Amino acid sequence: MKTLRSLAISLAVLVFIIAWVFPILWSVLNSFKTEQDILAYPPKFFFEPTLAAYREVLFGSQSILPNVWSSFVISIGTTVLTMILAIPAAYALARLRVPGKRGAGFYILATQMLPPVGIIIPYFLVLRNIGWMDTYQGIIIIYLSFSLPFAIWLMVSYFEDIPFEMEEAAAVDGAGRLTTLWRIIIPQVKGGIAVTVVFVFLNAWNEFLFAVVLSGNTVRPVTIAMFNFVSVEQTLWAQLAAVSVIAMLPVVVLGVIAQQHIVKGLTVGAVKGGGRR
Amino acid sequence: MTARGHVKVEKVAKLHGQVAALKGVDFDIRPGEFFALLGPSGSGKSTTLRLLAGLDKPTRGRILFDGKDVTALDAQHRDVAMVFQSYALYPHMTVRQNIAFPLEMAKTPKTEMAERVEDAARKVSIQHLLDRRPGQLSGGQQQRCALARAIVRRSGLFLLDEPLSNLDAKLRLETRAELKKLQRSLGVTAVYVTHDQEEALTLADRMAVFMEGEIRQIGSPAEVFARPNSIDIAGFIGSPPMNLMKARLDNGTPVLAGRPLPLRVKQQAGEIVVGVRPSAITIGEEGMPARVDLVENLGDNAIFDLSFDGGLVRARGPDPLAFAEGQQVAISFDAKDIHLFDAASGHRLEAA
Repeated sequence: MKTLRSLAISLAVLVFIIAWVFPILWSVLNSFKTEQDILAYPPKFFFEPTLAAYREVLFGSQSILPNVWSSFVISIGTTVLTMILAIPAAYALARLRVPGKRGAGFYILATQMLPPVGIIIPYFLVLRNIGWMDTYQGIIIIYLSFSLPFAIWLMVSYFEDIPFEMEEAAAVDGAGRLTTLWRIIIPQVKGGIAVTVVFVFLNAWNEFLFAVVLSGNTVRPVTIAMFNFVSVEQTLWAQLAAVSVIAMLPVVVLGVIAQQHIVKGLTVGAVKGGGRR
Repeated sequence: MTARGHVKVEKVAKLHGQVAALKGVDFDIRPGEFFALLGPSGSGKSTTLRLLAGLDKPTRGRILFDGKDVTALDAQHRDVAMVFQSYALYPHMTVRQNIAFPLEMAKTPKTEMAERVEDAARKVSIQHLLDRRPGQLSGGQQQRCALARAIVRRSGLFLLDEPLSNLDAKLRLETRAELKKLQRSLGVTAVYVTHDQEEALTLADRMAVFMEGEIRQIGSPAEVFARPNSIDIAGFIGSPPMNLMKARLDNGTPVLAGRPLPLRVKQQAGEIVVGVRPSAITIGEEGMPARVDLVENLGDNAIFDLSFDGGLVRARGPDPLAFAEGQQVAISFDAKDIHLFDAASGHRLEAA
């Protein structure tokens, strides 16, 4: 009975993994195929791999390198600005007796529930009127309006976990407020910062809906540039697959780096209660 | 140049909105003194310590360290050492970094810092743990680490907020004795908050007993124990607490359960309370007839619960087997062991 059950669970996990991995596998395989191999039926699992698609999308006439650069500028800009603003804001919300603190918490969550399509037109009009269409600052500021509340909301609980006596001890030890924040508090929320950075960066990197409306020919992130390879006459499947693999790379790299940080952050968390035992 | 560590608190009050956490206290702590702030929770003792540390500011009154008014000074600039109840060690730093932190904040040169950290760690016997993190230490070791972080400052004033309350009973007794030795050898002034009267009695040179946001009595443990100035203090200090029995005055003589007691007070008549410590009650053949209700055997002594026509009393006797439960006995006490209090005001009445 028990073995049957664990077998069923294993099977379910397997199905889940296959369903999840399949599209990625499809993209990766096709990115190394020629157009002929892609269209072959039945699909070929063994074929002569070629870098032709990569060569084309990276160095060809329609190179996506400027778009990758745009995506980086937008994502890093959004992440850096978000964190600079979110860390002090979350700390303040966690610590200070601000009037309307509860209301602020609700407001922050409410912004996450708003359907983006509902506000995309006003955003478009605002950006057009101030001449920020198709600019980095325009896209970053719009992304900020979503990422900032989310980042604050995520960070607050990390700050709240640190006993207030810790800060009082630092004050008695001669540390000012900023030194306390920098030397005592921030190191203890490193894990939280890592998690938040990953979420904010990935959200900005993967964003499509706002980018499609607010970007143009100057600032064109990878998610939008992919459409260069889809036209009325034909779809360049191999090149499209190559672009999507390139677009996935930073996500994977960041995930691997962040994983270590997150684990480290959790260990710090485990020690955190030590002082209160 | 006088010794460092003189503390003067003048009419200090702390209000939280309309609620008075501290109604106005005055006291003076001499350099090198071990001064306990004793009281039940919510009595204002911790508030007082926080005001001394500069973590809170008083609503009224002044605080002076070595003659200097520090009332408006932030904790950061007061140069006092404090041990928190939770120890408040920094979990992301090693023990060495924890102890060095106050020195770092004071911009102490590196070589001097290293020496002083080692020195402080040696004083509390944790020099072998310097490279561990607080989470890898036992409760007792964490407590020592917190102490070392306080010692390393070489501040004249030590503030201790129930530093032993998180230790188990055996460790608490050991650490208590060590703490006293440490304070003596460092020659610092210590202000020690506790709700445990035994801790205050054993550690303190003098103590202030807090109740309801006020100091009710200040004195050496011996003084407070021997001459509690009110019914509340009498009932709070001593374990088991003093027996308090209702009585009345008849021409200046206290009358307890119909029997005149062998002493007189100035006041002529009124309701009073007679107090006798359990250790001052003699159980024997002479005196007021009583019955043994319960014997609590403590090994080398015992506490006897007795009932007599004046009510219930508890007595401490040397021999647990001297009297059995249900036995008819007699109780007596000396005139010098009797404390008298006015029933209405609670104040102590002096024998004439």
